[in-house]
Order: sequence, then structure tokens, then C-alpha cells
Amino acid sequence: MRTGEKVDGQQQTQSSSSSSSSIDSSNYPLGTAKTATASSSSSSSSSCLSSVCRNTSNSSRTDLITDLRLGLTISPSSSQPGFPNSNPRSRNQTSDWPPIKSILRSTLVEKQNQWSQVKPSLFVKVYMEGIPIGRKLNLLAHHSYDGLVRALVHMFRTTILCPNSQPLHSGNFHVLTYEDQEGDWMMVGDVPWEMFLTSVKRLKITRADRC
Amino acid sequence: MQRMALSFPEEVLEHVFSFIRSERDRNVISLVCKSWYEIERWCRWRVFIGNCYAVSPMMVIKRFPEVRSISLKGKPHFADFNLVPEGWGGFVCPWIGAIAKAYPWLEEIRLKRMVITDESLELIARSFKNFKVLVLSSCEGFSTDGLAAIAANCRNLRELDLRESEVDDRNGHWLSHFPDSYTSLVSLNISCLGSEVSLSALERLIGRCPNLQTLRLNRAVPLDRLANLLARTPQLIEFGTGAYSSEIRPEVFSKLSGALSGCKQLRSLSGFWDVLPSYLPAIYPICSRLTSLNLSYATIQSLDLIKLVSQCHNLQRLWVLDYIEDAGLDALAVSCKDLRELRVFPSDPFALEPNVTLTEHGLVSVSEGCPKLQSVLYFCRQMSNAALITIARNRPNMTRFRLCIIEPRTPDYLTLQPLDAGFGAVVEYCKDLRRLSLSGLLTDRVFEYIGTYGKKLEMLSVAFAGDSDLGLHHILSGCDNLRKLEIRDCPFGDKALLANAAKLETMRSLWMSSCLVSYGACKLLGHKMPRLNVEVIDERGPPDSRPESCPVEKLYIYRTIAGPRLDMPDFVWTMEDDSEFRIS
Repeated sequence: MRTGEKVDGQQQTQSSSSSSSSIDSSNYPLGTAKTATASSSSSSSSSCLSSVCRNTSNSSRTDLITDLRLGLTISPSSSQPGFPNSNPRSRNQTSDWPPIKSILRSTLVEKQNQWSQVKPSLFVKVYMEGIPIGRKLNLLAHHSYDGLVRALVHMFRTTILCPNSQPLHSGNFHVLTYEDQEGDWMMVGDVPWEMFLTSVKRLKITRADRC
Repeated sequence: MQRMALSFPEEVLEHVFSFIRSERDRNVISLVCKSWYEIERWCRWRVFIGNCYAVSPMMVIKRFPEVRSISLKGKPHFADFNLVPEGWGGFVCPWIGAIAKAYPWLEEIRLKRMVITDESLELIARSFKNFKVLVLSSCEGFSTDGLAAIAANCRNLRELDLRESEVDDRNGHWLSHFPDSYTSLVSLNISCLGSEVSLSALERLIGRCPNLQTLRLNRAVPLDRLANLLARTPQLIEFGTGAYSSEIRPEVFSKLSGALSGCKQLRSLSGFWDVLPSYLPAIYPICSRLTSLNLSYATIQSLDLIKLVSQCHNLQRLWVLDYIEDAGLDALAVSCKDLRELRVFPSDPFALEPNVTLTEHGLVSVSEGCPKLQSVLYFCRQMSNAALITIARNRPNMTRFRLCIIEPRTPDYLTLQPLDAGFGAVVEYCKDLRRLSLSGLLTDRVFEYIGTYGKKLEMLSVAFAGDSDLGLHHILSGCDNLRKLEIRDCPFGDKALLANAAKLETMRSLWMSSCLVSYGACKLLGHKMPRLNVEVIDERGPPDSRPESCPVEKLYIYRTIAGPRLDMPDFVWTMEDDSEFRIS
């Protein structure tokens, strides 16, 4: 009675018999699936949204960005079996590649999501009357009109009237205006900040007496 | 030999055998003669079962009636990376039921990747009078209620280790079920628990256990409580913090720093969730004592890491995120001459662009500076053959080498060639290599090198590699000591598998997913090799609803003396010896 010679099931009598081989490299049919190519990065599909889109606080703007992104980057999905879905910015976070244990994986995903809450961006152009060169500014780095105005005051070294204060019609002061999605120029500060984020296309700092 | 053996009384031989701890040596002893077989089986206290389906509980009990310590492993290793569907199996229940009756003096249970219910934990708590060690590593299926039963009943428990398990966190008060008279705890690891534990219960517990050496807390334990906990356990050797952040308060900092310095035996630190770099200097005074530092959860930037590791002159093991960057690994190579194990995990594994400067240079640098380095797990985004060759030449003593280049099929970034030569050098120069994971662009040639040189290789992981069956054939026909082989997304198919069928009986298991093995070949293999369980895992429905030539989704093959398992879910099919083959 020799059952269970080794507890994990190996039979001693067979451990020494190496496998016999009938495959010969010279006549072996190659290329059943020659999938290895150097350009693996071509396998991209836009099935997962970028972290920027996911975490933007404003949903209608998010949808807009999402649509644009999908329209621009869509490509045939990979034909390779089991190949993780990916788009040019990030990989599917629930996929099984790269091989990381689930506890570390979920900690990292959580961390990334925390970070990308700080990171999302909405860059718009800012012009100031009389200055030919514009600047760019990330609106999502600010959380209110006050913060935005403070940044612009610093950026253009000028005085900008606070949005809700009465315009003084004085040449020494500037006001902030923006172009909305319809192409109209509007005074900044009339609509809630979140709504402003969905409609702003670019900003212009205008002399107060021109308004 | 036979005569000499007979000349000893059984008791003497039994005593001699008791000094032989290695499982393999004990297996060999049992093969010497019938009387040694008998003596050895009656004094085997410790069994390790690498696959819970390879043998039945009754077979183990019949052969080894006096076991005190049992280790069992369940799911395939790839379960760690989400490749094994939920509900696959690995249930420990039948084992606990059987050993509860057979081994009333059982002291230790160690499980890995198994499903254990609260009922089983309660049965353990009730059945074993002198139960001492419970290690549940990457296990699931149980809750804090089951742990409460263990705490309440196991008066001699020394070790409770829940490392990386998924626990249903129902009740933070389970720790208070340890009776007031209980003082035997030596090791407690609750790092995987999500919710808060009762801190007052924890403080009381560790305060009355004078032999406590290992304490790994979970993330819910706040930093400002660590000093109090440490003050009660000055004998601690291994410590895992909880969340390592707090408002910056000088008194919290100085209390923590003082408490850490008070633990004169402290050698190992882990935890550091949500780390706030301003609190890192609290561990500076004990850095020179540390041999093990696990910073896998710590998002610390390179400069802070450099400051830290530069003070850890006796470090033997470092787990860290890639925030360490090449510069940090350079510092490691200069400062940590005793380093044996290095793991570098990706901080942003899902981005396609690098977020840090961590390349092959860092690893080359460590391989040059750390002469004792023998175990590596390294995630990076670029590699070259030249670097791999240098690493292999620098560290011929390497036994475990796992490299993950995050983007699959990435070639040598300098030459755009496959990385065959580099990995070939690793297997050629590192003669004692036992574990290897491959990544990057690889052709069948790398498997030829592995088959030729990897004579001591025991575990091999392959992903997105090779061109044809020839690759798999090289592995199976060449690696004499291979025990576990796991393959995903490789064009390996029927011919290599069937031609090397006999080899599979010498191995513990083979996993293949998203490869080219047909259902027909699985059936044939199951028929030809009755000692193998050939299990097809297919979530698309019954494999016989598709043509036989259709590749199966996932395939798990393992040797067994227990026959087909009976607890399969509806997406697993076993290739039993069916009548279709019996007629032919």
C-alpha cells in the first residue's frame, strides 16, 4: 500500500521519468498565432474614461469632454485574447494586468482617485485688453470667482473689480468677461460658479469704462 | 542499510527522525524501507499540502495519524491577480470537519487562498484543546464573528495572522472576546481589516501578553494611539502601523518617536498607510536596527525615501513603491549592503506614461551594490537586454527573479529587440534560480534558454510571450524541477501540452488562460492521464456547446490521488474518463 507517498499527490515512481518528447523544432508548425509585435501600444480602446472626466465636479461639462474624447480617440478594440483594455491615458483599473494583489491594487486605485480629484483641469485662454499675448489658466484649480480673480490680478498685475460689485466706469479698473458657448460676451459673476464652468470658452479682461 | 536500521529500536529511530524538519527529507526517509515508512508516519507532526484537491483529508489522516500542524493551499496563484473567477473553490470545510475528529491535539492550521466559513472557525475553536496557530493568508468567506469564536475559546493561541485576507468586518469588538486570563499571544496581524477595532480592547490585550513579538495593525488605528500601544509592548520585534498621518503636533511626534526607540528589539516595520512625511523622522532613531521595511502602501516621494533608506544600514528586505525612483535605489545600493530582498511596486500601474523616473538603472545599481541580493520583484516601464545581462552577472546568487514590465510585449528600449537574451542570461548565470516571472517582448527563444539552463526552476510565470507551441515544449521538456507553471495570453496549444503529458504528473499544477489549448485536447489529456485533474474554466457556458477545436478560456491541471473534485461551480468542467473514450 503506497497510496499517498507524497502528500501533494506526486507518485515517487514517476518523479524520475522525464517526459518523452515528440516535438521537433525543425518540423514544428510555427505561427499558429504570431501575436508578438513590438507595437503593443497600438491596442487601445476608449472603454474607460480618463480620470479627468470621471472626477470633474460638473457633470454636463464632463459629458461634453467625454464625447469629444471618445470621438477623437476611438479605435478598433484589440483582437488579442485577454488583452487589457486601455486608452491613451489609463488602463482599466479592474483588469488583471499588471499582476498586483488586490489589497495593494485597491489602495493604489483609491490613491489615484484622491489625486485626480486634485488634478482635473479645464484650461481656457485669457486675454487682456491692450496686451497681444494671451495666457492660459486652469479654471478647475479655482473654486470660486474670488479665487479666479485673485489669480488673474496676480497674473496680469492689474486691478480687477470683483464680479458682484458695481462697475465704477473708471479707466483704472478692469472687469472680467467671458465668451460663452453661444459666442456671446458676458460679464463674469452673474451665474453660479459651476454653471460658469460649463459655459465658459475663454476669458477677457476689459477696461471697466468700456462696459 | 537495512540491517543497521533494524538494529535500532523504533523509539530511537523515531527520536532521530524528529530532528529532521524538512518535508522532502521526511518523504525520502519514508521510502527507505517498510519499517522506516511505518515509524516515520507515526511521528510526522507537520504536513504541508500544496493543493487541497491533490489528496483527500481521509488519505492524509490514514497515513499520518499524529499530525499537530497542517498547512493547506487552495486556489491557484493567479487568483491573486483576479484570474480565477469568484466561487471557483478551495473550500476548507471538508478538511476541518475531518481533522476535527482525527487530530484532537492539532496545534496549528495555516491556510492560503482558501475559503473558510465562520462555522469552520467555530469548529476549530471547539475541537482542538491545545490550539496555538491560525494563519489565514489571502483567505475569504469568514467574518469577525468567526474570529470572536477563536478569541473566546483558544486559550493557548500564540499566533493569529490574517494577512491579506478578505474579512467580513461585522464587529470591531471581536478582540474583546479574548478572556482576561488570556496571555499567550505572540503574533497578531489584523492589517487586512477594514473597520475600526476596539482600541481599548486592543490595548488591554497586548498589555497582558508579555511574549508579544509581532503586531500588525490596520489602517483604522490612528497615529496618535501608536505611542500608547508601543509603550505596552517594549519587547516587540515586528510592528505594522495603522494610518501614519495626523495633524502635526510636536507632542504626538515626540511621544511616538520615544515609544519606537523604547522597543529595543524592533527589527521590522510595515503599514504606513496615508503617510505624512513630517512624521517619518520619528523612525529615524531606530532605522539602523531595521532588517525589514514594508512601504508598499506608503506614498512617500523619492527624497524622503532616500533620507530614510540611507539610515537603514542593516536592511535585508525592502518593499516599496516606485516613488523611490532610480535615485533612491542608488542610495539603497550605497547604504544597504545586507539587502537580500527587494520589491518595487508601481504607484500608478494603470497609467500608460511613467509618473516617476524608475527604470532598469535602479535595479542594475542595486545588483551592483548589494552582494546578498537574491530575491527581486520589480515593476518598471523600460528594460534592456544589456541591463538584464549585467544584473545576472552581478548576482549569480539570485533565487527569485520576477520582473514585470508594465506594458505587455515591450521590447528592449535601446535595440527594439526581444528580451530573450536578457532573460536567457538570468537563467544561465543564476544557477540556483527557483522562481522566475517573465515580461516584455519574448519569442520562443527565451524558453529554449529556460529549458536549457533553468534546471532548478520550481515556479515559472509567463504572460504575453512566445510565438508557438515550441515555447511551451521547451519549458516542459527542459525544466526538470518545475513544480508550478502559470501561463496567460500565450500562443501555446495542444501539441506541446499533449506531447509532455507525462511531465504534468511530476508537477503540482499548470495554469493556462487565454492560450490556444482546445477543448478536445483537454478531454484527451484527462482520458490519457487518470492521475491528473484536467479542469476547464469557461464562463461562456458548457465547452461542448462549441467545436472541440475551440480554445478553452482557462485551464487548470493538477496531479491528484483523490480523483475529480466534487465541489465544482457551474463554470468548471472536469475531463472525466467518459464512455466516449472507453469504447475507442
